[in-house]
Amino acid sequence: MRLELGTFPVRDARFGSATRWDDGILTIDRDVVLRAVHDDPLVATASLEIARPGESVRIWPVRDVVEPRVKVNGSGVVYPGWFGRSIETVGRGRTHRLAGVGVVEVSSVNWHDAGGDFVDEYIDMVGPWAEITPQSALINVCLVVEPDPALAVQTKNEVVHRATLAVSDTLAAAVRGLRPPELETFELTTAPATLPGVVYIQCVHSPQAMSHSEHTFCTGTYGLTRLTPPWLLHPNEILDGALSGPYRTLFATSWTVVNNPILLDLYRRHGRDLRFLGVIVFRTEWTTQIEKDLMAEQAAKLAQMLGAQGAMVTWDAGGNEYIEVVHTVRACERLGIKTVFLTSEDSPEGGAPSLLKPVPEADAIVTTGFFNTRYLELGLMPPVERVIGYGQKAAGRAVDATVVGAPQVDTAGAIPPPWRHDDHYGFTRLSSFAY
Amino acid sequence: MISAIYDLALTTGANRVVRGCRIEHVCGNPDLGPDKDREYGMRIITTALQALTTEVSGPTLFDPQGASTETIHAS
Repeated sequence: MRLELGTFPVRDARFGSATRWDDGILTIDRDVVLRAVHDDPLVATASLEIARPGESVRIWPVRDVVEPRVKVNGSGVVYPGWFGRSIETVGRGRTHRLAGVGVVEVSSVNWHDAGGDFVDEYIDMVGPWAEITPQSALINVCLVVEPDPALAVQTKNEVVHRATLAVSDTLAAAVRGLRPPELETFELTTAPATLPGVVYIQCVHSPQAMSHSEHTFCTGTYGLTRLTPPWLLHPNEILDGALSGPYRTLFATSWTVVNNPILLDLYRRHGRDLRFLGVIVFRTEWTTQIEKDLMAEQAAKLAQMLGAQGAMVTWDAGGNEYIEVVHTVRACERLGIKTVFLTSEDSPEGGAPSLLKPVPEADAIVTTGFFNTRYLELGLMPPVERVIGYGQKAAGRAVDATVVGAPQVDTAGAIPPPWRHDDHYGFTRLSSFAY
Repeated sequence: MISAIYDLALTTGANRVVRGCRIEHVCGNPDLGPDKDREYGMRIITTALQALTTEVSGPTLFDPQGASTETIHAS
């Protein structure tokens, strides 16, 4: 499977009379883009705004950030499987991407209606939160979109994300026929057998147990988010967006998954330092001990069948999902596969361990620090001049919105950062120290 | 402690752990229908009460289905 990835860097984006890319400038025909969004009769309202790094802008609330990509040749479509998009296997041929641009999904639609569990993410384009958020360095084309209010919450989710992909498709189509300034070829060529075989086990949250939704929120595999046994993906499929979708932390949006530094580093070291064997996508939040352990056993078995001598494990969630993840690390180690685990840490309060369950076999752990932003001691984020999205939110965490009559605050004002800074793939410039 | 993820409870040092059903419904199983669900729930609670009166020397799993005790050594 061979994929050429053509990169079109974007220095600036502006609205104009036609959508085109020219020497780093992306011009966007706002009317045409919004018409593509309104092709879906279930979209009630939609608007498009641009936010640039360094501007005094806050984008609230953020459900997803998507990098515009398009298939130039090869089967399938980018971000496949979502809501009627082709499920044909991707990863072959050529794909073009607009680099440095994000299409931001801004909507009041929550991921499920069980209550008490809101999407509470925002992007600042300047200030302390911007400094530790990778998407703040992008030129963000923000789609503020609301579906028909009569729809069920799962259908609302579908409408909103489909609209975001319509914007992404329309922008990326502008570079489909152009010659990319940069071209990189991704292929798992035959590598010397003396190099260690390494598999990447990417654990992604399933909303099924919480929301009963099979496909409407969280990182989907070809659009599917339900609890399924581990999948084997070629890394090229991921570069074409076969693993993508909205999420509740900024570090697991579609943009971060296709730009995942671990995936790209493993790939670029293939044939040089290691043999990259593939990606085992491991869906988490199984709800019995036996299911958790079964999935861990099976993921490790797959890694062994692939001939792995080493494994890299990441996850994008918290809480009980830690069990199947860390048991996967343990199962790999017990099969003789040296395994490195990249994780954030729980709060250290009350003397509790900062990892839910210590496992002796997990002896190579890279930490990205505490995920609770309280421990980053950032204080309040400074006020901004302009808000893209909604001018008010419930005070404190959005969870407070479940309290009837909860006080509202202006989102342009000084507000706390989102509660979670959980760097699932090692993007940030934060440093850690042991004490 | 009644827990669906009993392995975690045992590892973190709970001495008496009763095996629950699932995270969504720890003390019962709606798929059984009202009568059998109640029966199953009662069995879990009874097992928990029995566990409280049982001497243990370390983290121990009590299984309401098998009604037998199984010693799990924290790994």
